[in-house]
Amino acid sequence: MERAQQPKEVISAKEMGVVACTRCMQVWPQEVEFCDRCGHRLVQRDIKSLQRVWALWVVGLMCYIPANLYPMLQTRTFFSVQQDTIVGGAIELIEYGSIGVAIIILIASVMIPIAKFLAIAFLSVSVARPSSVSKNQRQLLYEVVEYIGRWSMIDIFVVAILSSLVQLNVLVAINPGPASLFFALSVIFTMLSAQAFDSRMIWDAQQQGEGQVNNDEHP
Amino acid sequence: MTNTPEPVPIDPARESLFGRASIVWLIPVFALMIALVVAWQSYNDRGPLISIEFENGAGIAAGQTELRFRDVKVGVVERLAFAEGLDGVVAQVRLEKEVAEFVDAGASFWVVRPELSVQGVSGLDTVISGIFIEGSWDSQIGPIRTNFKGLQTAPLFRPGQEGLQIALRTTPGGSLTDNSPILYRGIEVGRVGPARISREGSFAIAEAIIYEPHGRLITAATRFWDTSGFSVSIGPTGAEVDFSSLATLIGGGLSFDTFVSGGRPITDGAVFEVYGDEVSARNSVFNASEVELIELRVIFDENISGLAIGAPVEFSGLRIGSVQSLSGIVDAETFGDSRVRLDVVIGIQPARLGLQGDASPEAALDFLNARVQEGLRARLASASLLTGGLKVELVQVEGAPPAQIIMRPDEIATLPTTASEIADAAATVEGVFTRINSLPIEELLNSAIGFLQSAQAFMTSEDLRETPQEVRALLGDLRGIVSSQEVKDIPVTINAALTRVETLLGQIENGQAVDRIVAAIDATTNAATSVSASVAGVPELIDNLSSVAAKAEAMPLEDLTTQLTDLLASADAILGTPAAQELPASLGAALDELNATLTELREGGAVRNVNATLDSAREAADAVALSSQDLPALVERITEVFDQASRTIEGYNQGDVISRDARAALRDISQAADALTALARLLERNPSALLRGR
Repeated sequence: MERAQQPKEVISAKEMGVVACTRCMQVWPQEVEFCDRCGHRLVQRDIKSLQRVWALWVVGLMCYIPANLYPMLQTRTFFSVQQDTIVGGAIELIEYGSIGVAIIILIASVMIPIAKFLAIAFLSVSVARPSSVSKNQRQLLYEVVEYIGRWSMIDIFVVAILSSLVQLNVLVAINPGPASLFFALSVIFTMLSAQAFDSRMIWDAQQQGEGQVNNDEHP
Repeated sequence: MTNTPEPVPIDPARESLFGRASIVWLIPVFALMIALVVAWQSYNDRGPLISIEFENGAGIAAGQTELRFRDVKVGVVERLAFAEGLDGVVAQVRLEKEVAEFVDAGASFWVVRPELSVQGVSGLDTVISGIFIEGSWDSQIGPIRTNFKGLQTAPLFRPGQEGLQIALRTTPGGSLTDNSPILYRGIEVGRVGPARISREGSFAIAEAIIYEPHGRLITAATRFWDTSGFSVSIGPTGAEVDFSSLATLIGGGLSFDTFVSGGRPITDGAVFEVYGDEVSARNSVFNASEVELIELRVIFDENISGLAIGAPVEFSGLRIGSVQSLSGIVDAETFGDSRVRLDVVIGIQPARLGLQGDASPEAALDFLNARVQEGLRARLASASLLTGGLKVELVQVEGAPPAQIIMRPDEIATLPTTASEIADAAATVEGVFTRINSLPIEELLNSAIGFLQSAQAFMTSEDLRETPQEVRALLGDLRGIVSSQEVKDIPVTINAALTRVETLLGQIENGQAVDRIVAAIDATTNAATSVSASVAGVPELIDNLSSVAAKAEAMPLEDLTTQLTDLLASADAILGTPAAQELPASLGAALDELNATLTELREGGAVRNVNATLDSAREAADAVALSSQDLPALVERITEVFDQASRTIEGYNQGDVISRDARAALRDISQAADALTALARLLERNPSALLRGR
């Protein structure tokens, strides 16, 4: 909130009639179509980025469903074969008393992906509509989502490492379940979705929102 | 709030939805398509759900336990639930589509578990992978069925399995090892399934399979036997332990062989008997109609122990069957009282009766019935004197009351019986002992004791003790005689006698003795002839002797012996008396006196006299030598003597005269004896008379 209140007035580059190259950050007048330095195409606002966000978001969500229904790990011991889904495995850990580990798994594999879906959806929606959340907060949220998204792959790393290490033929063998593939796809697609989001749009919408807020505040 | 709306930038050239849409939307569409295709495919590939009911769900896990066919997974248990009424467990199995249509009414299911048995370990893979359900069905498509009953154990006959299906049953009284391999030359060629007991309980029967291509080894002449266990035999070659294999030693097994060729091939469903060992199996080949027994009931009034199941049934000494069962029977209606009778069922092999042709049981029964009307009866007889074992014998009884085999429908025909002939060894021995017991041994002993006592009393009598003293007195008299002067003068007298003999020989010399001797020899010949004539009467004599011997034999020798023994005992007692002991001393004294007499003789010139006597004798011999020239004459004289003797013998033959003459002779002899006695007395009184000649 502090941060949100400090910059009293933010003037966007669009209002200044310039456009920045998204690759090399060179600022050009709006009329320039291609960056002279790096040759990247200059776009004032990527209107179609929202579509890309939504499309990838949908694929990520589609992958997330089987990722939770199918088993993540297949543990074959001497006597039995155990297949655990993400949530099932966490519950089993709680039953065995390893609550800490279970919480980590639940946060990394369940809470964060779901929060990411929600955050991306909120950002995409808030671009088009007025929102009560300030632009700074939304910018912060976007940065957090982009930063934290890659950590969701920790699950996949664990599965990959276990599968490659624990291969004692007859005694014990751990193999990745079908959910691991879907989970990885889900993480990849949400990351792509987050990347596809043009965060500059946050500031465009902010003006509309601020105008409304200002009107409300000053009768 | 402002009433003038801001000029909304309207895109006049609003592109169509597809134009505005990003190409990136293809990704979710593509993903959705994949998902849909996968979903549809997996739904389409799903087979039907069947339920299999098991007694328990040990090891069956939903989602894990597989259904396998020929060890390939064809389904998985989706759900495990209790059957209605909690009397079982129903496993719902999702079949794979490609086999679903084959799982028809003929399918069977069982749970494969690790099994450790003497034949080996089976289902070891289930230890690691968990148990699985094995299914078995044929390759024919049949009507779909969804409810099945699981089997406890793997079935012996599996559809699609090649093999000869037979049944094995025990011989009467035999046994069978089920769930065991069938070996041929030590190779497993088949298996026996679980056995079940027949309804009557008289035998066990088990299904068995002989795997292809070994089925051709089985013909109607094949015999099976049990190879479980082992046999120990001790013979001249040493001890021998025999068993087929370690597995059959512990777990049992069957073996078979075809002992004779030419048996017809058999088809599925044939029944074979299982024999106890190879020898009886081999022997059974030659008893073709062993199975076709006629059963007959025999009811004995006697309840006699010793008859056992398997005891022989004999007909004219030939074993024709055996006792099948024994029981008591009480039937007041039939027998008129409620005594317990012995109800014996015997099995007779018709072939052993020697009937011609097929010897069917009916024909054999008719034959027996005809014989029964002629008097054939059953009876108990001793099979062994030592063990007291009994057997059933069919015998021809002459003049038996008429009877016939009682035949009632649904009942075993009853054979009439006759009185048993049981040689009871025990009773015989007892009789012998009874007779021995009744012998009057005590009386005999009492008599003997009494006899011995009287003998002792006799021996100890005073008269008997005085006898030795008298003997001693007698010896004293004898000593007196020997030491008398007359005896001492005897040599002189002998000398004189010899002189006279010499004179006599001289006279003989003068006569023609030799001629006479020749004549005498002739006469002797005649006499011998007459003797030989009289020998004719000898056989009679022998007869007489025989009869005498018989009489002698008849004499109570034993008594005599006893008396002799007693006598010896008495003699012993006598010898024991002091008087008897003094006898040797008296004898010694007598000998001393004799010695003294001899000394006196020597001193009295007896030796010289003897020498002289010998000289005379030599002279006499010389004279004899001279007179031998005249021997013929002498022989003639002797012949005459013999003639007279011969006549005398003839006279003897004439009977009465003999006895008279004999009596006269005896009288003369008696007189002569008297004279001798007188002479003895005279000599005693006056010994010198002997020398003086008066």
